[in-house]
Amino acid sequence: MIKVSQLSHIYPGGTAMTFPDFAFEQGEQALILGQSGCGKTTLLHLLCGILRPKKGCVVINGTDLSDLSGAQLDKFRGENIGIVFQSPHFVDALSVKENLHLAQYLAGRKRDVDEVQTLLEELGIGHKLNVSVKALSQGEKQRVTIARALINKPALILADEPTSALDHKNCESVVNLLKGQAEKCRATLLIVTHDNRLDAMFNQKLILA
Amino acid sequence: MNLLKLSWKNIVYRPLSSGLSILLLAAGIAIILITLLTSRQIDDKFKSNIEDIDIVIGAKGSRLQLVLCNIFHIDNPTGNIKYAKTKFLNNHLFVDKAIPLSLGDNYQSYRIVGTTHEYVELFKGEIAQGKLWEEPLEAVVGYSLAKKFYLKVGDTFAGGHGLGESTHSHDDMLYKVVGVLERSHTVLDNLVLTSLESVWLVHSGEDHQAIGSFNYKTIDDFGGDTLAMKTYLDSLQTINIDSIVEAQAVVEEFVDHNDPNHDHSKCNHIAHHPEKYKEVLAAMDPMQLEVTAVLVKVKSPKGKMMIPGMINNMDGLMAADVAIEMQLLSQLMSPALGVMEMLAYVIMFIAAISMFVATFNSLKDRQYEIALMRVMGSSAAKIFITILFEGIILALLGFLTGWLLSHIGMSIFAGYLTEQYHYDFSGWIFLKEEIYILAGALVIGIVSALYPAFKAYSVDISNTLSK
Repeated sequence: MIKVSQLSHIYPGGTAMTFPDFAFEQGEQALILGQSGCGKTTLLHLLCGILRPKKGCVVINGTDLSDLSGAQLDKFRGENIGIVFQSPHFVDALSVKENLHLAQYLAGRKRDVDEVQTLLEELGIGHKLNVSVKALSQGEKQRVTIARALINKPALILADEPTSALDHKNCESVVNLLKGQAEKCRATLLIVTHDNRLDAMFNQKLILA
Repeated sequence: MNLLKLSWKNIVYRPLSSGLSILLLAAGIAIILITLLTSRQIDDKFKSNIEDIDIVIGAKGSRLQLVLCNIFHIDNPTGNIKYAKTKFLNNHLFVDKAIPLSLGDNYQSYRIVGTTHEYVELFKGEIAQGKLWEEPLEAVVGYSLAKKFYLKVGDTFAGGHGLGESTHSHDDMLYKVVGVLERSHTVLDNLVLTSLESVWLVHSGEDHQAIGSFNYKTIDDFGGDTLAMKTYLDSLQTINIDSIVEAQAVVEEFVDHNDPNHDHSKCNHIAHHPEKYKEVLAAMDPMQLEVTAVLVKVKSPKGKMMIPGMINNMDGLMAADVAIEMQLLSQLMSPALGVMEMLAYVIMFIAAISMFVATFNSLKDRQYEIALMRVMGSSAAKIFITILFEGIILALLGFLTGWLLSHIGMSIFAGYLTEQYHYDFSGWIFLKEEIYILAGALVIGIVSALYPAFKAYSVDISNTLSK
């Protein structure tokens, strides 16, 4: 489903980073582990195509990302990849519901109120539907970013340190939610992290040097 | 959710900076529009009132004042002229119309104009109710005036002395309304029209008024110098009094008339005996009758050249060429309008900068948002359009606010102008220039959003998200 080969990247004025080849099937869940500064976030950006690799290729569902033009890539990303970022960010001017509708709109789908409502309820924040994103707690914010990553039922879910700002209780429930939702829509889930708390929860692990 | 809605939400989310941008743009637009609305209406009024008048003849003084006073009824008269001296114009080869005007009194600060029926024809005035004046002291009131003071055929009123708010009123001789005019959008709307004779008659009461000041001096003050008394009387009155006996009779009658116990029904004073109006008029010396001005329409351009020359050579008379004076007036006004316009453009320019800064600043906070939207599948073009929409929406709101402000402001200002100049101004007329101003506002909105939109377009997603 996702296949990475001979991937390497170099930032202007920096040293080259090379990544191991790997592949995951549809529905698989894995951790990508590594110490800070080893290029975890860079890998994630390469995987979702917001960074173009200097060498190598990323193939998702048979599409080589390097074959796509800028706008095609944006569209592909919107339709196929859901991303959860380390720190939860939103369009501040919009409410929870509107942020999710925006995600639907930008992925080229119709706005679906029921879908948004159901998903939020599954994530335990159904009552926050019309609340401004500024008024959410840290845990709630992370759940909304998960909801945003899931709303378009992507084939691939990428998460970048989704638990680093969360306490133990929230950490576990957020990861369980991610796992549960990914399973539900048979999405491949890749979590980039250095959070040891997650180790026990996943079988597959990829360790970056 | 769509891009337009997103832009709108972003504007509403920053009420202060959005509000400031809108307000500045609105202020600039309001100033431009008010200037335009005022100058356009004044222009229109001037044009519709000049109509067919080429030359104004009156007493020596300021030519511009002569035109303003007698055509637009906004300045004071330069003085009076002897009507007889201008009579030759009626039969002059180059003259089409010569219409006398006699000013001097007012009704509630609106002018009472003694003239001929030709004056009404000049402005294509139509009777809405009743008829034009025939007899002395019959009056026809203009549309706006009738409306404002609820005047209708059959009403009577006293003219006030002078042209402004007056303390003295000719309440001994009442005008009778015999007609009301249709709206003509000319000065007629705000005038009371009557015959020349009416004004002469009412002001023959001025001997009575003038003799009133005698009353304070008493006849004895002249120490029996009857010649001095007659000269004094002559200088004050228009009724031609031949003998001293007659003059004394007039004076005595006046003194008697002012007595609180005086029985008006029995006295001989003409004010109480309308049937004597004609008699009194007939007794007036035609050479002494005065008017304020004569409006002249020439038959050919030659008349425009010749008549002022002739008139200016006559003792006490002056001719003003309306076109030349209007040219002068617009030259006087244009710097003031120019300053207003400059001010408005400066404000609009500041508004443009304010919009630019506001959008640009908000982008700094929104870098991450924009990167996020890109990750969610938005193309760079969509981001560009979103920011551009924000500029356009701000511009539209600014225009709308400015437009509303200007028309509401103008309609308030119109009341004041109407009060001051007795012209009908309105806040709710619309100019085709408003479209150009809308277009201008949109250009400002787009231009000020262009660079921020481009910056947003070229945001480095990966870099921004890694921060």
